[in-house]
Amino acid sequence: MSETQVDFAVFGSSPLSGVIAGLLASQHGRKVVTVGSALARYRLPRAIDLSVAPITRPETWALLAATVPEASKLIAKIGGRGALRRVDPIFFADGPIGTEALGHFSHMASAYGILVEPVPPSKIGEGRKALRIGDALTINRPAFEPTLEAWLTREGVKRLSDAAIFFGEAGSVEIGAGENLVAARHAVLVDDTTILNHLPGWQWPSQLLRRQQASILTASSQHLAGPIMLQLDSGTVLVQHEEGGMAAMGLGTLGAFSTAIAELTAESGQLQQVGQVGFEALASSDGAPLLGPVVPEGVQLLTGLGPTGIFLAPVLARWLAGEASAEEGAWCDARRADRGNSGASVAEFTSGFEERAA
Amino acid sequence: MRPDTNRLPATTGKGLAGAYIERDRPIRFTINGRVIPGFRGDTILSALLASGVDTMGTHSGSPIGLRESAAPAITYAHAPTHALPMERTPARDGVEYRILANGPSPGLFSRLFQPGRTLGLTLNANGSLVRPWRAIKGERGASTDLVVIGGGVAGMAAALAGARAGLQVTLLEASPHVGGHSGLFGTQDGENTPQENIAALVSEIIASNAITVLTHAEVFAIGENLVRVHQLDTEAEPVTSRVVDFSARHIVIATGAFERLPVLSGNRLPGIAGAQEAFELAYRYGIWPGHSWMLATSGNPAYRLATLLDGSGATLDRILEGRDHANSRYIEFCKAYGIRQFPGTVPTAITPGQHGRLSVALPHGEPVVVDRLVLSGGWQPDLTLWHLSGGESRWNPKRQRLEPIGTVPGVVLAGSAAGHFTRRGCLTSGLDAVDRLLGRSGPGVDDPVIDAYYETPDRQMSAEASGDAAAPTYLDADDALMLRPAAPQPRHWTQIFRGPGKTPVRVLSEAPQPLSIGAICAGVGIGLIPEESAGIVAQERVALVPLHPASSAQAVTPAEPPPVPAYLADRFGPHAALVVLRHDPAWQLGAGALIFEDEDALDPRRAIGVVLRTRDGKTEALLAASAKKLVVRDLGQAIPAEIQS
Repeated sequence: MSETQVDFAVFGSSPLSGVIAGLLASQHGRKVVTVGSALARYRLPRAIDLSVAPITRPETWALLAATVPEASKLIAKIGGRGALRRVDPIFFADGPIGTEALGHFSHMASAYGILVEPVPPSKIGEGRKALRIGDALTINRPAFEPTLEAWLTREGVKRLSDAAIFFGEAGSVEIGAGENLVAARHAVLVDDTTILNHLPGWQWPSQLLRRQQASILTASSQHLAGPIMLQLDSGTVLVQHEEGGMAAMGLGTLGAFSTAIAELTAESGQLQQVGQVGFEALASSDGAPLLGPVVPEGVQLLTGLGPTGIFLAPVLARWLAGEASAEEGAWCDARRADRGNSGASVAEFTSGFEERAA
Repeated sequence: MRPDTNRLPATTGKGLAGAYIERDRPIRFTINGRVIPGFRGDTILSALLASGVDTMGTHSGSPIGLRESAAPAITYAHAPTHALPMERTPARDGVEYRILANGPSPGLFSRLFQPGRTLGLTLNANGSLVRPWRAIKGERGASTDLVVIGGGVAGMAAALAGARAGLQVTLLEASPHVGGHSGLFGTQDGENTPQENIAALVSEIIASNAITVLTHAEVFAIGENLVRVHQLDTEAEPVTSRVVDFSARHIVIATGAFERLPVLSGNRLPGIAGAQEAFELAYRYGIWPGHSWMLATSGNPAYRLATLLDGSGATLDRILEGRDHANSRYIEFCKAYGIRQFPGTVPTAITPGQHGRLSVALPHGEPVVVDRLVLSGGWQPDLTLWHLSGGESRWNPKRQRLEPIGTVPGVVLAGSAAGHFTRRGCLTSGLDAVDRLLGRSGPGVDDPVIDAYYETPDRQMSAEASGDAAAPTYLDADDALMLRPAAPQPRHWTQIFRGPGKTPVRVLSEAPQPLSIGAICAGVGIGLIPEESAGIVAQERVALVPLHPASSAQAVTPAEPPPVPAYLADRFGPHAALVVLRHDPAWQLGAGALIFEDEDALDPRRAIGVVLRTRDGKTEALLAASAKKLVVRDLGQAIPAEIQS
């Protein structure tokens, strides 16, 4: 059995994991492999990529404002015109906590030059506060994925199966690939499924929580008020598909989420489900990302980044490579997975949790 | 129009004269105002097909065939309260029916002058072939010990085994008759004929007081100890329908297997049928359209159709075999009959020919024109209800099919649905299913599968995608009308005037239709779905109808937010305080408005506070301890403020 030595093994199937792997190889000259399968063309979507989110921390807004142009340029270069789409998503809230959070988001987004306009109740429903966000960017995962795979291949990043994984000391990992063994000095776990399947229990961050989530594809003939809609109270995301139908992603068991979606979209009668999956997902207890190892010599985590994660990929790759700027480093260090309750809070608004007091 | 346009003569042998119809009792009914003749015993669908109506209309710009797996629902023209499936509804003399389908309805002119063989539907809307009963909540039905879904050999054996074990059994069969689909598969050494076997089981069931048989009862949803059924009352005049929820401690799924649609251009044109479908139309209703026909298959039982039809007057042009080297006793029989066979040959495309015929393009030589094409892509266990109940499956690369794995509490599979394709295997798996449900140790399943050396396993059949195909390619023969995904076409300038048009979906993950098991198999066959993910995708993309919708489990945020939300913690230093602001009362400051010390400051990182809310006319804010002079930025305005308390 031959052994190949690499610097990083990036675990995951999402665009974020692929882009980070590719950036570590292409921009930072590291030897990299990715571990996992490309799924976007035949599996139900479980998350979306969006350049805006209900973020309430100004330092995160500032970082995002600086990085979105760089990330979107990279994504367009990899995936062409079909990969990146400009959309005007709608964020809305029904309850007082979500409505307040929407206000904080609105002022922060406006301060960073994002066009935010209220949506009239006639379009969105009485008693509901809603904002249309202008010119956000979203990634068409099914279109982007094949081009990402091709880019990774060009950059010398191999995709390996996660069938045989052996975590070693100091955050290293060995991956069995047929007759070969690939030894990586640093394992980086990105997607929820990857972390759930592979993170050793003793390295589990205290703030990382498991939550039941569901994703439903419907054949609804109704058209949504916006191409992407996010309900802040529950964290439910609705996506209108070009082909017709709608994808919904959110918290709860499959049965409960199905009921919630029927109520939310005011479907009369039975919701016409044409695809559904319930799954376990992760969230940090304070809504902020968890980055890096939990123990000094543990595997690296990149989780809790939400829909904007891929637009922060260049920063995250620089940080992993030890080449981040002082400001980028400070932002990442404040969100380290081993932060526990020490240091100043970096909490963000979290949908679906009972809101806590500061 | 005659009731026997497409029927074999009443004297046809080998059981193909139509066992369910009474040729001496003609009937007539209307559908969308058009008079259709038939015989007592026909369904609406069989009467239409027998009369030469074999086309639903158009889909994706091409004619699409009318068949049992994809037929529009109907209702009564003057009392549209009951949606009925035309393939399960017995045709009644003098009744007027209307078709239920989304999309443009044919106008009066079109209805009066419809071409002979089409229903004239335009099926471009997603979900055109609506099944309205799927949206109806079920009324509470009887509670029983054991529900057996599927009245084939395995289902009947399971029902009898349950009754012998002292259980009250309800046997649900979707079609008008029990018996299942074993007729085409013939016999193995020492076996009775399927008909003899079925007759014996039926008489034993009739004699049992513990078994209730409901025909015309299609199960379309399944949950924990519950099945939802669309049931027709055919004793009523007119036929009525209802949706019923049956509860049961145990459930046996014996829904059999279905025949896969080969993936090639034009695979759902009118005049195309599967081998099992063609056999059953002939056996049950004596239907066989046209004279010349061709068989293209990659499964062995389809060959039996060729030998059964020999001498019926239908002329078999040739058999195309999709496998390079296939062995089967059925293949040998066909050789003995002198039928031409072309191994390793898959049609490249099918196009409509002149006079309603089909032109079958071959890899070599001129296209062959026939009246009817029988396409068989091998058999696949029907795992739809298994997936709906939470069961899992895995792709078997040797047998090229999805097979069930794991267990579901209170639910077991039996017969072909469980992967047993011999009649003995089906019978014994029905008995074994009840043993497993009751936790009894039994003799297990005796499935005498003939070695693959003598009976080559089925394979899928597909042709390469062609960008200039004249007719669309479907992934399955079902009512989802799922087209083979295609790469996006470049925009053409004429789209400015006529719009982008309807094109196939580009990826399966966003297709606004459920993916049937057949479509999943096709997806694996043409490389859209990796084999190792086929089972997961099949479970994800089944058309699930939730039976026990729990109350919403989404975390409902409390009515009142906390004084300072956690996401503002430490934002303005560790000693930030909750204060009430005094400002121009003409302004109601919104939550999130940032507070600065400097009128010109705009950078949120330099904010010294934030407005939390206005409550009881007071503006509450979170403010850094050092704050002195205050300017609130709201809606682009700088509003002076000061601390009131």
